[in-house]
Amino acid sequence: MNNWIEAYFVIDFISAGLLLTAVSMNALKRIESCVKAYTLNSWLLASLIFVIALMNGETHLYAAAGITVLSKGILIPLFLGRIIRKMRVTHEVEPYINNVVSLSISAVLVAVVYTSLSDAVFIEGFLKNVLQISIAVLLIGLFIMITRRKAVTQVIGLLFMENGLFLAGFSLTSGMPTIIELGVLFDVLMGVIILGIFAVQIRRTFASADLDRLNTLKG
Amino acid sequence: MEYLQFILIIILSPLINGVIRKLKAQMQGRPGPGLFQSYFDLIRLFKKDMRISNTTSWIFGAAPYILFTSTIVAAMIVPVITTVSPFSVMGDIIAIIYIFALGRFFMALAGLDAGTAFGGEGSSREMTVAILVEPMLMLSIFTAAISAGSTNIAMLASISGPIYTPSHILALSAFIIAIIAETGRIPVDNPDTHLELTMIHEGMVLEYSGKYLALMEWAHYMKQMLLFTLAVDIFFPAGIINNTEPAALAMSFGIYLLKMFSIAFFMAIIESSRAKMRFFQLPSLLEGGFVLAFLSLLTYIMTGR
Repeated sequence: MNNWIEAYFVIDFISAGLLLTAVSMNALKRIESCVKAYTLNSWLLASLIFVIALMNGETHLYAAAGITVLSKGILIPLFLGRIIRKMRVTHEVEPYINNVVSLSISAVLVAVVYTSLSDAVFIEGFLKNVLQISIAVLLIGLFIMITRRKAVTQVIGLLFMENGLFLAGFSLTSGMPTIIELGVLFDVLMGVIILGIFAVQIRRTFASADLDRLNTLKG
Repeated sequence: MEYLQFILIIILSPLINGVIRKLKAQMQGRPGPGLFQSYFDLIRLFKKDMRISNTTSWIFGAAPYILFTSTIVAAMIVPVITTVSPFSVMGDIIAIIYIFALGRFFMALAGLDAGTAFGGEGSSREMTVAILVEPMLMLSIFTAAISAGSTNIAMLASISGPIYTPSHILALSAFIIAIIAETGRIPVDNPDTHLELTMIHEGMVLEYSGKYLALMEWAHYMKQMLLFTLAVDIFFPAGIINNTEPAALAMSFGIYLLKMFSIAFFMAIIESSRAKMRFFQLPSLLEGGFVLAFLSLLTYIMTGR
């Protein structure tokens, strides 16, 4: 049952995919493709939990995987898509720094995370790698939030951070109690909805989704 | 027999180019030139007289020979159908990259030599692309070399055991981007046009004619096939043999041709489905490839897979 997971490096592939989708955010030029990258990231996250559930045989992890797919893989992307259509913003991402520099910085971030966590002895085995990747995803999400101009892309950065956090918690505790996971997911869902409404309001008030405009006072 | 495997690359390289051209034409709904058109082109060019500008120096005449011979030297190091490669003591995979760099250096010089605007433009672009491609190529090769424990290509090609690990897949994708950039294919360069705004390779050889042009083009075909062979040796070594029995050699040759045609098919798909990128967007693609290679190395070092 578990042989194919180890024989074909399934967990390694999924975690490499998680990292790659996060790094690819720095290279993508259209907001729609950023949402797609987030969707892929969430599906990979869910499949990682599913595979680990298969390995450990813990039933509550199946539930966690299912909830992750439903909320992060389906509901949030749909909602983000609706916001983007509703705001009728231009489709360019418009980062503060160009994508060559931001790709390099994200590579450096990953290197820093890998080297600084290589001596983390408190967990062993494949979960150590998962922890490293989760912290890397978290930092890349933060980096995206810092360097993006538009409200929606900042929300996507926040969501990446949340995916990273979820994964980090998961790798440290090998699955939190279902009620906590439910609470966190519900929190995120609400957070995204509120942020989405904010973004639409910003767009309506300032006639732009550019967060730099929020510096100026309006009487 | 094992001494002569580089001859295969010299002879077959125009064919592979012809295959890519034919497949590309088919995908775009054209009949396209025949499979052996590249050979006919080369023969016709060898028969023609040369026109050489009076402003050129000796470099212009030397560059085609240097390019051609350096590519053959690189071809001698690479194991094609058997990993018993007597010339591999001459150098490893890093040597090959820098033998390519030697040829490229003289090609760029020759582009500048005639003093035309297009030659200089082509040379400057070629060197810019080369600067961006080289680290990516090196890093993706390092990943494979660390896992094989050697930079010798024969050693790399003869490793057994699973190599379809995350780090290898990442390195392979970076390597493919590097091949596309090095061989001047879409989306980096368009091998079919002489449109002055976009050309890179064509710009440098614009002043050449006749025999010299034939040597330049042939060297370009060989370099392309060599890079494909390297990709096959490093990332898909299954099927390459480690002895020199004639029957096994014949079978390995068949497998090798099959691999070459699949790479040609893959290249034709990329060429037909992508648009040429603007030159100033290239750094973003190549930097993406570099990050892929970097991540592959990191992943290998950290996870050991």
